[in-house]
Amino acid sequence: MLAEPGVAFRLLAFQLLFPEPDHMMRLGRLKRQMFDIRPGEHLRTWAMFAYLLFVLFAYYILKPVSRAMFLNKFDIDKLPWLYVLIAVFGGVLAYFYSKLAAKTSLRSAVFWTMAISVASLLVMWWLIRMRLPWMIYVLNIWVGLFSIVLVSQGWLVASNLFNAREAKRLYALLGMGMVLGAAFGGEFTSRTAVLVGTENLLLASAFMVVIAYGAFRLAIFHSAGAVAHARAAEAGETDFSFRDMTRDIWRTRHLQVIVGMMFVTYLVDVMIEYQFQVTAKSSFHGDQLTAFFGQFYGLYLNGTEFVFQLLLTSAVVNWFGVGGTLQILPVAIGLTSVATIAAPGVTSAGAVRLTEASTRYTLNRTGMELLYMPLPKELRNRIKAFIDICVDRASRGIGGVLLAVLTGSWLKLDIKGIAMIVAALCVPWILLANRARKEYVATVRKRLEARRLDFESARVTVHDAATVRLLETAAVEAKPRQAAYALGLLADAPHYEIRPLLQKLALAPEPREVREKMYEIAADLRWDGVLERAIREIRAGGEAGDLPRAAVPYALSVAPDRARLAAELLDDANPQLVEGALEALRGDAELAEELITRDWLNRMVRAEDPRRRALAAAAIGVRGDRGTEALHGLLVDPDPLVAGAACRAAGAVKNRAYLFALVSALGNPRLRGDAVPALAAYGDGICGALADVLLAESVPRGVRRQIPRVLKNIPHQRSVNALLAAMGNQDLLIRAAVLKALNRLREANPQLDFENQFITGQILAEARHYFELHAALAPFRNGDGCVRACRLLARTIEERLRHTLERLFRLLGLRYPPREIYSAYLAVSRGRGEEASAAMEFLDNTLDRGLKRILIPLLDAPEHLGEHGRELFGVEDRTAEEAIRELIRSRDPWLVACAMAAAAELKLRSLAPEIAQAAHESEEEVSEVARAAEAKLAA
Amino acid sequence: MAELNIVEKVIALEGVELLGNLTPEQLARIATIAHEIRFPPGKIVLEAGKPADALYVVVDGAAELSREGESLATAGQNDVLGAWALFEEDDPMPLTAKTLEDCRLLRIGRDDFYDLLADNTEITASVFSTLVKRFRKLVEQ
Repeated sequence: MLAEPGVAFRLLAFQLLFPEPDHMMRLGRLKRQMFDIRPGEHLRTWAMFAYLLFVLFAYYILKPVSRAMFLNKFDIDKLPWLYVLIAVFGGVLAYFYSKLAAKTSLRSAVFWTMAISVASLLVMWWLIRMRLPWMIYVLNIWVGLFSIVLVSQGWLVASNLFNAREAKRLYALLGMGMVLGAAFGGEFTSRTAVLVGTENLLLASAFMVVIAYGAFRLAIFHSAGAVAHARAAEAGETDFSFRDMTRDIWRTRHLQVIVGMMFVTYLVDVMIEYQFQVTAKSSFHGDQLTAFFGQFYGLYLNGTEFVFQLLLTSAVVNWFGVGGTLQILPVAIGLTSVATIAAPGVTSAGAVRLTEASTRYTLNRTGMELLYMPLPKELRNRIKAFIDICVDRASRGIGGVLLAVLTGSWLKLDIKGIAMIVAALCVPWILLANRARKEYVATVRKRLEARRLDFESARVTVHDAATVRLLETAAVEAKPRQAAYALGLLADAPHYEIRPLLQKLALAPEPREVREKMYEIAADLRWDGVLERAIREIRAGGEAGDLPRAAVPYALSVAPDRARLAAELLDDANPQLVEGALEALRGDAELAEELITRDWLNRMVRAEDPRRRALAAAAIGVRGDRGTEALHGLLVDPDPLVAGAACRAAGAVKNRAYLFALVSALGNPRLRGDAVPALAAYGDGICGALADVLLAESVPRGVRRQIPRVLKNIPHQRSVNALLAAMGNQDLLIRAAVLKALNRLREANPQLDFENQFITGQILAEARHYFELHAALAPFRNGDGCVRACRLLARTIEERLRHTLERLFRLLGLRYPPREIYSAYLAVSRGRGEEASAAMEFLDNTLDRGLKRILIPLLDAPEHLGEHGRELFGVEDRTAEEAIRELIRSRDPWLVACAMAAAAELKLRSLAPEIAQAAHESEEEVSEVARAAEAKLAA
Repeated sequence: MAELNIVEKVIALEGVELLGNLTPEQLARIATIAHEIRFPPGKIVLEAGKPADALYVVVDGAAELSREGESLATAGQNDVLGAWALFEEDDPMPLTAKTLEDCRLLRIGRDDFYDLLADNTEITASVFSTLVKRFRKLVEQ
């Protein structure tokens, strides 16, 4: 039985939040969620926790004291103007504070802020004892600024001590420090105000600030450099101004959204605070009012915040993401404001205040801090203090003016009317939160993409006269390769007349590369200005192999007697000229049919010189295979030059009669380069046949592994379907090739359907496999008792883990933006701090909840992989013997071989039956290992 | 003594610098073209001044490395003889390797190696990576 209501409440909350059967598992998960502090993080985490706790402690002494003193001394109509005064003075302070932060290190800024705070508290304590009424205004203005400056500084320090992933784990805990500090401060005030006198509590507050400074020093103990060097701007930018800051906001949409969110948040906060204080003043007076504020802020408000922070914040942020979390506050306020509209009073206004403040300090605060995280560190540091202080003050000031207008003699709105205004403001607020989510993801994505080299931006364009002159000179005088490149650029330049330059080049003994380019350009222009030179070169027969390849196709494209010239060249003894003639005939089927006769083909096919047989194959590719069976023989020609040309020809004629030979050629490394594009040229009509080959166990693996390379070059849904059908193949190389091909198809053809549901199933299967491999690796990780075979097994499992991770990301690339997923994979696999952290943020905000639940723990918490494997898939820890037994049964030939060798090395005789079974079922190489292991175990 | 199985061959090949970047499974593919051969004492495995067409890994035994009759070093278990012979088709060997005792070696022939590279681009990439690192190191020296 649970006797204590608090404990019962928490356990009830556990049941609601984590509806899983195993209680220990749930407790472990909650503990991890709240206290997932990893080695090396403890000191800075707990010190930051203490810093925020004591700052809030100090503030919650000051807050009830200052508000009660004001309301007891002045009428309620003065309250809106107090908000305006706070805004004006807050704006001035924000400006000077930003100057200070930009010109000094963060460490110095914290020191001076705290020193000035303590000194101010001591001076105000002394002046208040002099009974000066205006000091109550000063105190209230000062208190309003106190928490903002010190708390925002605390989060700024935290953002320099923790990266985005650490922040996501630890900020909830830091937020809890704030909640506890506020609760203790409020309760302390309500219990001690009568005993020591209200004004003397200022001294207690000053003492708390001193303790907070000690905590700050501890927090930066190991990271003093980071905080000492952190500034709000670079050295050259320290002299930034209000204009610079507003310019940053103007340029960055992400910052605009943050500012918009904060503006509405504090505007609504002022209105709700007003409602609450008006109803409190009408219900309580004098010491009763102080006691009420102390109790409300200390017990009710912070009790609620504590529960929110303890049980909800981490889970809500993980579950809803940044955008969803930020929507909770406006939705909650909108709903509770309905109660105030229906029944205005201290109870309903208190309920709205309770909802607003508890949600703002917990869920909303964590969501807002995370919203800053994707920004570059310098920008974040420079702008954060400004936004936190200035926007806060400005929006509260505007809220004060608005309240003065709304409650003034003209409109005379009562509490009910103010509640309606609040409810209406919640609508744009919700829309802004939704926009914040999109901006957050977009900013993270941009940061990932910025790490990829954009080759497209390296293109050269030619527009201006100076560049044209430079290129003309280069085309004539530069080294051959540069000259040819310059010619190419000039040919592409808009409105540039290149013919005179080509004519000039044709008169000079230019190098072969330049002439090659010259003929290519002239052929594109269908211009005969350099024909004479081409004919001269052709007649010379390409002495010393100096004839440009483009010369013959060019000559045959513009020569007036092209048929006669082509016939002459086809019979030339120089294979290069024949090849050029065939190339030129490729675009003229009629002439090709006329000139490439069966006699000509037969003569070439029977030639001893393989170059001539290859030309026969090329000729069939040009004219087609009507009336000849020669290509069948050429496809199996022992000379790879001939067989390769035959493959290309088969791809050109697309006759299914050659399919078998082409698929067989995939198994030959020397023909593969020709066979793959040839098969792809057949198009989607052969996807079914290729799918059959891919799945056929009887076809050699060397052939099957190449089928995905063909399919990825056929951008059709049938290719996708064929590849999806083979995705679960036992052969890991085939599986990897299938995924690579699918990725390529997705990247180039996003309109194709990749069956999301099926892919999700595959992702989950790979994730499970990852956890299983991890569990199998665990007994060998520390190397106890491991000699060579065991170490080899461990290395193999590690390699399998790496490949599984790659497959996981490839699968993700079939569901989500492939480029970003690839960037995320690179960042995660390299495991570099900021980069990996940004990648995790991207995944966290991109993946569906079901996948995120599995994959984020897999990627983000290597030290907890065992626990996560147990929780998510029931993968239990294994002994060496259990791990090896499972690996022997895994049907992964190489893993089986390594596992059996390890079993023999560890003398695991109990595994003899599994080894005997493997010896019986495996291929010869693995069976040999099995027999050796059996012999070793029997010895 | 029984013939080496594929796992034992991989363990022996792990010590070859040229193959240092390969994963165990890629080494297993190399192991399929690594043939076990045995030499009696006094047998010349590689001869200075003559080209070689294979790389050898010492599995058991020892071989003397010498130049012009002068003994320079002794190669033992897991040492490699003719490490760069796979890439030097016509270049003569700078050293002679002669067995000092009964030796068991793994032989990787150049032609088999190139065929394997043609069929396994990821192995080619790893071998290139090792070569590039080695060249860079030489340039830096």
